[in-house]
Amino acid sequence: MKSLKEELESEQVRHLDLSRYCAVQSGTPVREALATMRAEEGRPMLVIRGEELIGIFTERDVLQRVVGRPDALDGPVDAVMTARPITVLPDTSAADALWLMDDHHFRNLPVVDRQGRILGDMTYAAFVHYLAARYPVEVQNRPLRPQQYPSKPEGGD
Amino acid sequence: MTTATIPIQKATLSRADFASDQTVRWCPGCGDYAILATMQKILPELGVPRENIVFISGIGCSSRFPYYMNTYGIHSIHGRAPTLATGLAITNPELSIWVITGDGDGLSIGGNHLLHALRRNVNLNIILFNNRIYGLTKGQYSPTSRLGAKTKSSPMGTIEHPINPIGIALAAEASFVARSLDSHTQHMGEVLKRAAAHRGSSFVEVYQNCVIFNPTEWDGLDDRRTRDDNILYLEHGQPMVFGKNRDRGIRLNGFTPEIVVLGDGVSEADLVVHDADSTELGYILSSMEYPTPMGVFRQVEDRPTYTDGLMEQIATAQAKRGRGNLDELYRAADLWTVVPQDPTEPIEAHISGRVGGEMDDEYTDMLTGQGKEADDSTSYGRAGTNLDIHGLKDRLTEVNVEALGTHAPVEVDTQTSLAKAIRQMNSHQIGCVLVTDETDRLVGIFTERDVLMRVAGLVDDLAAANVGAYMTADPVAVRADLPIAHALHLMALHGFRHLPLVDDDRRPVGHHLVPRRGALPAQWVVV
Ligand SMILES: Cc1ncc(C[n+]2csc(CCOP(=O)(O)OP(=O)(O)O)c2C)c(N)n1
Ligand code: SF4
Ligand SMILES: [Mg+2]
Repeated sequence: MKSLKEELESEQVRHLDLSRYCAVQSGTPVREALATMRAEEGRPMLVIRGEELIGIFTERDVLQRVVGRPDALDGPVDAVMTARPITVLPDTSAADALWLMDDHHFRNLPVVDRQGRILGDMTYAAFVHYLAARYPVEVQNRPLRPQQYPSKPEGGD
Repeated sequence: MTTATIPIQKATLSRADFASDQTVRWCPGCGDYAILATMQKILPELGVPRENIVFISGIGCSSRFPYYMNTYGIHSIHGRAPTLATGLAITNPELSIWVITGDGDGLSIGGNHLLHALRRNVNLNIILFNNRIYGLTKGQYSPTSRLGAKTKSSPMGTIEHPINPIGIALAAEASFVARSLDSHTQHMGEVLKRAAAHRGSSFVEVYQNCVIFNPTEWDGLDDRRTRDDNILYLEHGQPMVFGKNRDRGIRLNGFTPEIVVLGDGVSEADLVVHDADSTELGYILSSMEYPTPMGVFRQVEDRPTYTDGLMEQIATAQAKRGRGNLDELYRAADLWTVVPQDPTEPIEAHISGRVGGEMDDEYTDMLTGQGKEADDSTSYGRAGTNLDIHGLKDRLTEVNVEALGTHAPVEVDTQTSLAKAIRQMNSHQIGCVLVTDETDRLVGIFTERDVLMRVAGLVDDLAAANVGAYMTADPVAVRADLPIAHALHLMALHGFRHLPLVDDDRRPVGHHLVPRRGALPAQWVVV
């Protein structure tokens, strides 16, 4: 039987649930970028020049480089984004992508194909969802509150 | 596997030895007599002593059968003969058990009982007398009555499609499925003997003539003159030739059997060869009406019987734990006494009980599979481990998030300024702080999402604003002994990225943060 590791090695990034993202053009003022992100429920933002991915701008960047610095708000998003993010190919193995995130503390891995097209943004949610669907009995079939879950297999407490 | 050996009697018995002294109450001319006679004829040939033979029936004319056999017998409950017989087969595997049922008894009221005895492969011989009518109750239509049959209960003709007993038996996975008819006693005798010789559930449908309420049902089949032109005798390994003159045969055209005349360019080599091992062929034959197949449709020999499997498990359990005691077993379970309630007292005061601790644990272990040897010996570390799927499943439910390493709580109170809270987050490199009240209980969380959505570019003076007004109040918080599976559940189904860990008084004891190195699925489970 395959281990989960082996399973993830044969699974490709494009088979996972990729997260949604929003995008702005390079040079967009930070204030405008923030408004766009809020309108998109706080999704991570990919910064593009034309079609090309040049940076990524996330909550963490907001926390570390924007909030409390009013001067940053009117500057371009390029000044506060993480430039030249590491990306993965759609056929990168899910295991490789996971190690990459784990080793480098990446929280977003844009998925970009060989022609430079952006296909999605991979986050930890992709693995969380994979595990949930892979082990539905263990993970999905539960109540919200752990104390509502019977402690005995036959349903008793 | 235990094998019941049936002692062969020295003194040979005769047909008469199996006939009881009871007056037979069937209508004169009833086909049941022929079946009774055939049974009494073949039993001595099986060499089973009378005291090891039991006939169990339900309700109906056919079900009166046990009275007439000089063996043990139970004229039981309507439709339930297979069930009683199952119990008997388990408690005494030495017995040769015959179930006698009718089309009404076995397929109306007892349909479900029949199915499950068949699929369990209980070592029984189930003989269903099919007269396509309720005989005993004087001629109401049954589940095998033809569409349009006019009976006492369907004077304008039935509007129900009949069911096919052979198809039912095949679908129920009976390991021996056969058909015969009352009027052809040699054939019936051979089929009954083969059914008796088969270990497992044998199902035999016997076309039976109810001379009073349905006398024309088997016209063509029960007439010696036309019989062999209308019956296809199934013989394993033989081409399907039929007809009095053995001049016709069955050829498969796709999935459809067709009748061909031999000679004229068609030879036996073109015909279907009967294969009782083939379930597919069994189904095709079960739906064939002309010629009517008779004989063994399917026979599967290598399937263990229900009793074999059960006895094996009992032997294994007893070897491990000794013989059990039913009384102790019963008393080991949760017991309680419910006494009349005094309306002034809370109900809890009226429930007293004791929990059989050991028994429960054992039972629980059994259910969770913990009793068996653990099939993985992996650590949670990254290096060199190779979790198999079962190990992982156990890990998900048995390992708690605290075992993975959690972050010490970074706490602020509701009066803390936004400026200070954000400084805390940045200095701890963490996306979430826990907000507590004066008694140190968790009242909210303040996360980088809150910063993005409600603060950045929106609040000018961060020092003047308090966290209490911007936090997410009353977050779901969990105890540190939360199984990983539950944490995944909260993240996957509810979208939580931060799980505050609290004690029973809701005081923070840590964070489980996602994403955070060490808190990733990669660290938890994949390695
Ligand atoms: C619980 C219950 N329901 C209904 C009946 C009435 N009843 C007696 S025998 C029978 C059907 C018998 O039909 P079948 O099994 O075909 O036996 P046959 O008399 O045709 O041999 C019915 C419905 C009953 N005795 N008990
Ligand atoms: S038996 Fe249990 S698992 Fe099955 S449906 Fe009922 S509640 Fe759900
Ligand atoms: Mg009947």
